[in-house]
Amino acid sequence: MPASDRRGLRNALVTLRSRLERRALSLVALATAAVLAVMLYLPVGVVFLEAVLEAGRPTLAHFRAVLTDPFYVGALADILAEPLAVRTHLEGVAGWLGAVSVSATVVRPIPGLELPVPWLALETPGVRLGLFGFTAYQAALSTVASVALGLPAASVLATYEFRGRQTIRSLTILPFVLPGIMVAVGFYAMFGRGGTLNGLLGLIGLGPYPFIEWNPLAIVIVAHAFYNAPLVARVTVAAWESVDRRAVETARSLGASPRRAFRDAVVPQLLPAVLTGALLTFIFTFMTFPIVLALGGLQLATVEVWIYDRVRQLAYGEAATLAVLETLLSLGLTYAYLRYESAQSGLARAAGSTARRPLFPDLRTALSPRRLAIVGYGLVALVVFVGPMASLVVGSVTDGSGLTGRHYAFLLERQLEGASYQTLPWVAIRNSLLFGVATLAVAVPMGVVISVVTARAGRAGAVVDALAMLPLAVSGVVFGVGLLRGLVFGVSLPGGWRFQVTGAVAIVAAHAVAAYPFVTRNVSPLLANLDPAMVESARALGASRYRALRDVELPLVASGIVAGAAFAFAISIGEFSSTVILAGSGDTYTMPVAVERYLGRRSGPAIAMGTVLLFVTAASFVVVDRVGGRFER
Amino acid sequence: MTELTLAGVAKRYDGTAALEGIDLTVRDGEFFTLVGPSGCGKTTTLRTIAGFESPTAGTVRFDGRAMDGVPPEDRDVGVVFQSYALFPHMSVAENVGYGLRFREPPDGQTVDERVRELLALVDLEGMGERDPDQLSGGQRQRVALARALAPAPDLLLLDEPMSALDAQLRESLRRQVKRIQSELEITTVYVTHDQAEALAISDRVAVMNGGRIEQVGRPQAIYREPATRFVAEFVGDNNVFEGAVRERDGDRTRIDVGGETLAVSAASVPPGADRVTVCVRPGALSRSAGTNRLPVTVETSEFLGETVRVHGRWNGTEMILQLPEIPDDDELTVGFEPDDAHVVATD
Repeated sequence: MPASDRRGLRNALVTLRSRLERRALSLVALATAAVLAVMLYLPVGVVFLEAVLEAGRPTLAHFRAVLTDPFYVGALADILAEPLAVRTHLEGVAGWLGAVSVSATVVRPIPGLELPVPWLALETPGVRLGLFGFTAYQAALSTVASVALGLPAASVLATYEFRGRQTIRSLTILPFVLPGIMVAVGFYAMFGRGGTLNGLLGLIGLGPYPFIEWNPLAIVIVAHAFYNAPLVARVTVAAWESVDRRAVETARSLGASPRRAFRDAVVPQLLPAVLTGALLTFIFTFMTFPIVLALGGLQLATVEVWIYDRVRQLAYGEAATLAVLETLLSLGLTYAYLRYESAQSGLARAAGSTARRPLFPDLRTALSPRRLAIVGYGLVALVVFVGPMASLVVGSVTDGSGLTGRHYAFLLERQLEGASYQTLPWVAIRNSLLFGVATLAVAVPMGVVISVVTARAGRAGAVVDALAMLPLAVSGVVFGVGLLRGLVFGVSLPGGWRFQVTGAVAIVAAHAVAAYPFVTRNVSPLLANLDPAMVESARALGASRYRALRDVELPLVASGIVAGAAFAFAISIGEFSSTVILAGSGDTYTMPVAVERYLGRRSGPAIAMGTVLLFVTAASFVVVDRVGGRFER
Repeated sequence: MTELTLAGVAKRYDGTAALEGIDLTVRDGEFFTLVGPSGCGKTTTLRTIAGFESPTAGTVRFDGRAMDGVPPEDRDVGVVFQSYALFPHMSVAENVGYGLRFREPPDGQTVDERVRELLALVDLEGMGERDPDQLSGGQRQRVALARALAPAPDLLLLDEPMSALDAQLRESLRRQVKRIQSELEITTVYVTHDQAEALAISDRVAVMNGGRIEQVGRPQAIYREPATRFVAEFVGDNNVFEGAVRERDGDRTRIDVGGETLAVSAASVPPGADRVTVCVRPGALSRSAGTNRLPVTVETSEFLGETVRVHGRWNGTEMILQLPEIPDDDELTVGFEPDDAHVVATD
């Protein structure tokens, strides 16, 4: 080939490449939009359609049926059935109030132990809560428990200096990505009839007590607090640390006592954070699924669990209607949360954060009431947060009589000799890892592109941001139902074509859609903090938009991308709700699904499988930590 | 080398006008400065030239070529920002060489040669391996300048490049920028809010206000013959008196200012103007003499070393005087000659 031709070819290639580069960002953005449309909006849309269609005709009959059924909405059913009969309803409320009575009694809170406690009992005639009412009720209780458990942690982390403070502060993000089904099994391993708590009580000659059977709701609420108290602590500590020390000093110099300065200068800045944490907790626990499914079963059914049951019974219409109602409620709550968050975002950033005191400066201080209370709280926290995970590990190598390897032996045996229709451990582990890697490959580019598109797009960016954050407000079960009905069963296209996505692809899509908001949430703040003049400098120097992204922005937000990737991987490993629906009875089950399947028959193998899941999750976080990720936001 | 023209360039954001019809020609090799208060549209003008903003109306031309729709990377401009905008993850040499990933170095140089030449040009020889965060503010800004110049752009755009630096550094860097600019004979647009800097460094200056150009001219012309009251007050200290043209007496014209009369040179009064603004620089006012005598009530005195700046009031109008010593009395009389007053029509 003559030199001139070669140069011509090279120039043509260079031109082609630079053209592609110029379009690269738009192409990835288009691909992201396409994935979102097909994998997020289509399934959610299918669920909505299913709820309002009856034999192809629009109808509100499904909604009417649900909203007037006491099973679903409890005492509200009458009101919703005949909203205009105000007088009857008011009479009902008056009659209920008249029947409320307060009495002082003595109760013995610990069964089998004569320990009388004076108690002010409030007797109210029962109100039928219905499925929605009960879901909200347990979410409210869980929120109270999470705030009660989270606030002391926040105050200790923010005001005292001690060894491991930074580590504990970083660890508060961990429960958030722990697989729900694993936590449920952990609680089972701790509070179950053969659990570690009964084991310990047995040492002093007590028990065994059926804690879970006594009060499954209490165990579920503690499990929810396990998840959400760290969240409350985290947002509160962040707010606490961003309180400008000089605000407190100014208040003191103006004559306020330390207590008064705290109340006037610090508390107003903490309240929004506490409310944010509480609101998020309520949203999350309203959509709770694996914990209730594993610990409570159908007698504690929340909306989410009931939808899952309806899907199992093939009652898709009812499932879709419930899903729509639940999604509308959670969207409303999420909207309230976002409005509230944006209203608070104007708060000042820390210039000089508050100084921390040593936790145990000397022995005298260590015995002060306040320090003793902190120690007491620490013990409670240890039981709630470390207990279930430790019980999981302990439970996997013990049975009622002592150390044993038979739970793992069962897994191994099942793997070696199990029939193909049975749930094989290695298949579950392999699927989990494969889906996790595939999820990374899809979710990271999606999340980054959405961050880039929304970072400096002003009002249009806010709209894209809201649309892209929808997965946070749509529960996994609802999404799973949509994927099942929309993509797995297939959608008819004009011209006799059928659009169908099944098996592993559908699961990876579901995981990616659930995971990319975490990438976006980690990358966006870093991207927004970059000096826009850097990108403009690069462009003026001849870089296309894509090259400026590749050469300048991405290297500078790499830590956010790695952290986002860690979340994405952990979300994929732990995802249960949509996976259990999509896997059905096929062989695309993952570790969490395997745990749930084992749990239905024997607890030992489930606990062993849960321990494997714990180690895989922990290993992925360690790997990411080594790579240089940061879990801080 | 490049001549830059802006014809009727306007920019609106959400219905509010940031620029209203800017017409401008920057000559080949000229050092041209846009100066004005914040929000006057000077930075928007610069960003429109660079291609970061597209004008709502009008056209930007480089040597007659319309730049409509041409993205920044294809305009061959070098841009320096106030924040330096160095890439923190690249060394100084990588920063300076970044533009050479997309454009060939001039005169058949290798990338390394070009980077070394540019670092020498800004007096940073041997600093190539450093990271930007190991440099002082002034050094960073010189790296940013070297980076912008490395691909030999047609046009150099500087957006408040000195504003983050302290006063002394600013002056020395200013001289360096001017020296490099005349050496390279590169057409340069410089944006600043500092009128003294604009006068010191520029071949020509455009004073902007409210999205318009108030006046374009050489620094001396801008200072001595401001076209509007805004320019008179924005560029240097000035005493301004609004009044009405009364009568002409030979080569003098009398202006009525709130009941008092000031005499100015008849030639300086814009023909046909009725309401006018009389501008007198503080340096033109002296205690010794003057046809116009103004009794001033002193309010504050600032000792500046060479001179004393006195703020006071005459006839209800604020006055700035420049005196050799701090006055020992609260009342003093200053005067000026009619030829020392500059008169503009009141708009």
